[in-house]
Amino acid sequence: MNDNRIEKTKIRVTGLNFSYGGRLILKDMNESFEESTVTAIVGPSGVGKSTFLMTINRLWENIPQAEMSGKVEIKFDGQFRDIHDRSFSPSRLRRLVGTVFQKPNPLPMSIFRNVAFPLKLAGEKDRELISYKVREALTKAYLWEEVKDRLTHNALALSGGQQQRLCIARSLVMEPEVLLLDEPTSSLDEKAAEVIEDLILHLKERITILAVSHYLDQVKRIADRIVKF
Amino acid sequence: MRSMKETIAERTFLLSAIVSSSITLIIFGFMLFMALPLLSGGKILRILSSAWSPGNGSYGIFPMIVGTLAISFLSVAISFPVSIGCSGFIGILGPRQLNRYLKKIVQVMTGIPTVIYGFVGIFLLVPIVRELAGRGSGMSVITAALMLSVLISPTMILFFNDSFERVPRSYLEAADGLGANKVQKLVYVILPNAKKGIIMGLILAFGRALGDTLVALMIAGNATQVPGSIFDSARTLTAHIALVIAADYESIEFKSIFACGIVLYLFTTAIVLGVRYLASGRRKMR
Amino acid sequence: MKRPVEQAITGFAWLSMAMLLFAVFSVIGYLFLKGYPSLDTRLIFGDTAVLDALLLRKQVFNGLFPAAAGTLVLVVMSVVWAIPVGIATGIYLAEYASARVKGVLNLFFDILAGIPSIVIGLFGFALAVFLHKNFSRAIQPCLLISSIALAFLVLPYLIRTTQMALEGLPEDTRLGALALGATKLQNIFYVLLPRSLSGIMSGVILAIGRCAEDTAVIMLTGVVATAGIPKSLFSGYEALPFYIYYISSQYTSPEELLTGYGASIILLAICIVLFSAAFLIKKRLTYIAFYRS
Repeated sequence: MNDNRIEKTKIRVTGLNFSYGGRLILKDMNESFEESTVTAIVGPSGVGKSTFLMTINRLWENIPQAEMSGKVEIKFDGQFRDIHDRSFSPSRLRRLVGTVFQKPNPLPMSIFRNVAFPLKLAGEKDRELISYKVREALTKAYLWEEVKDRLTHNALALSGGQQQRLCIARSLVMEPEVLLLDEPTSSLDEKAAEVIEDLILHLKERITILAVSHYLDQVKRIADRIVKF
Repeated sequence: MRSMKETIAERTFLLSAIVSSSITLIIFGFMLFMALPLLSGGKILRILSSAWSPGNGSYGIFPMIVGTLAISFLSVAISFPVSIGCSGFIGILGPRQLNRYLKKIVQVMTGIPTVIYGFVGIFLLVPIVRELAGRGSGMSVITAALMLSVLISPTMILFFNDSFERVPRSYLEAADGLGANKVQKLVYVILPNAKKGIIMGLILAFGRALGDTLVALMIAGNATQVPGSIFDSARTLTAHIALVIAADYESIEFKSIFACGIVLYLFTTAIVLGVRYLASGRRKMR
Repeated sequence: MKRPVEQAITGFAWLSMAMLLFAVFSVIGYLFLKGYPSLDTRLIFGDTAVLDALLLRKQVFNGLFPAAAGTLVLVVMSVVWAIPVGIATGIYLAEYASARVKGVLNLFFDILAGIPSIVIGLFGFALAVFLHKNFSRAIQPCLLISSIALAFLVLPYLIRTTQMALEGLPEDTRLGALALGATKLQNIFYVLLPRSLSGIMSGVILAIGRCAEDTAVIMLTGVVATAGIPKSLFSGYEALPFYIYYISSQYTSPEELLTGYGASIILLAICIVLFSAAFLIKKRLTYIAFYRS
């Protein structure tokens, strides 16, 4: 039983401290997350839930005045890697660990170019492969049927729920192993939120998901495990 | 491979920053180098305090320093009250519909070339001042100061308005809640809270007046005496540089204009430091 | 506050505004009133046929064409020097520099921005003299020296606008592409710069306006009253603002003075158009930059 648990662990956080502008936000955190599960992170606002997500994709490094100590390890190809290791470039890490923000943040370009953007960043040139992957990602994100006839349209013209699914598709296009969701439905109406919840449950088959959420009923519906902050 | 690209890019950006910031120092260094023979010993004080009389071997720039300060102070003194009035008008007192356009006009005014002010000054303002003074050519301290005040007031107005807008909305709402009218809000809430911004705008506008060449060159008359009244002709440091530049490279006359350059450089640096000091004080306050 | 005092304050604000508008419109109105008879193609091309002048087949003697051409070449050259250095420096300040380095560099650029243009011109002149004495007798105040000095003059504008446009971007814009695996440089070029393009562009336009109107720098670094259209980087040239200055004191006939008014109107129009464009262009530009299919 215990062995099995270790085997299934995907992310391991040990002795994590985080401060912002001298103010300690996370103190000596130890936590682990299992493969192919949805973990809901709950708690009052301002206790560092979003900050915690930023330590897993190293985005905190781009926040001025932020400081972190401790260890975050993720298992890639059966081996735990310290993600803050110097040899591990942040851009490679972020392709393996996708992030979706609270507010949908499509770039001001077409739907297609939005989803293809991470591929472009990774230096992919093969147009056919790009087309194929974009289609696959949009399908996985339940968006393909709605946008297949207007891929060249401006992404900012989509509805809020569609924009958020577009952002999920954009994260999926790199085939990440971990997906971080920071209150992904809080800016959406109930119906759009339901679609996203459904999508999350579907995605967890292949991806380890960490989701910050404020809504208890939502947490009950999607989470395998709850971590209280 | 990619990180190589990143490194090269960062180095390029850094190099640009080094090149452009070194220009600031190089300019000063060059001035110093060129003026060096004049600055050694006690000669520097002589240059700063004596009259300009090349015929007698005297290359002092004292009259030009006085001329510069007189014209700059006067122009700020004229445009400051008007600018405060205008920014009060645009900021709160005037009809809102009108103010959008007025602000645009003031913005565009900052783009009017200084040579145009000089040109119109010669043919429009100089004759008027000549009539009013009843003597002289009409090219005088007051002529240049009047034209310069038109040149610098947009800078002041935009800066004042900017600092008005930075007064926290909650203060204004509090005043509204207490039944204050527009004038009361301006006098009791906006102006006291924008005091630092107003001083900064004032100093910057003074710097603008100090550094302008063409207006004074064209309509202040360029006499090398210390002006005794606002209707006397005067020469600014900037105009002096423009007028003496044709002298022989090796002459003391030529070298003395670099002393003017140094004085101007130090004046404007002092202004920048003053404004920065005020700005940093403002940040600490918050 | 007493009612009359309040009325006096309101009255003073109206009076100030009226005075300012009176001053500006009398400057502009006077120019147009006096200069408008001069506004035709003869003002620019003199007695030469327009096409001949534009194709440089014939020289223009009594028109503004050489001065306008000189100003155009001067502006283009100065901006070509200043843009890459200015924007790269702005990027460095906003994205790479540590707080300490940034503080020092900001001070340097504030000082540079404050230096009077005549002092920059004096530096350009001294540079030409220095090069003349130490390197080549062929170097003297000329188009090249002027354009370099003007580039120094406008550099702070470009640095500032680039830096401010980048620093003003909201955090989620900054993090969006990074979260998708963009490197720092990719983030700058694919997201941050395109997003700040309107700000940067308004800085470029202001710089162009400043180069076009400046007189003090060029009068020390190579501009002359008559040179024809610019022929070489190492020779003197004519420019509109200097022509206006020159005519104001050296005119010999009412006709010549009239071309001075004409030149003033043209320069004023150029500057007003550029400054208005700098304020207007913001929204449109981001639109154009992003929708190349």
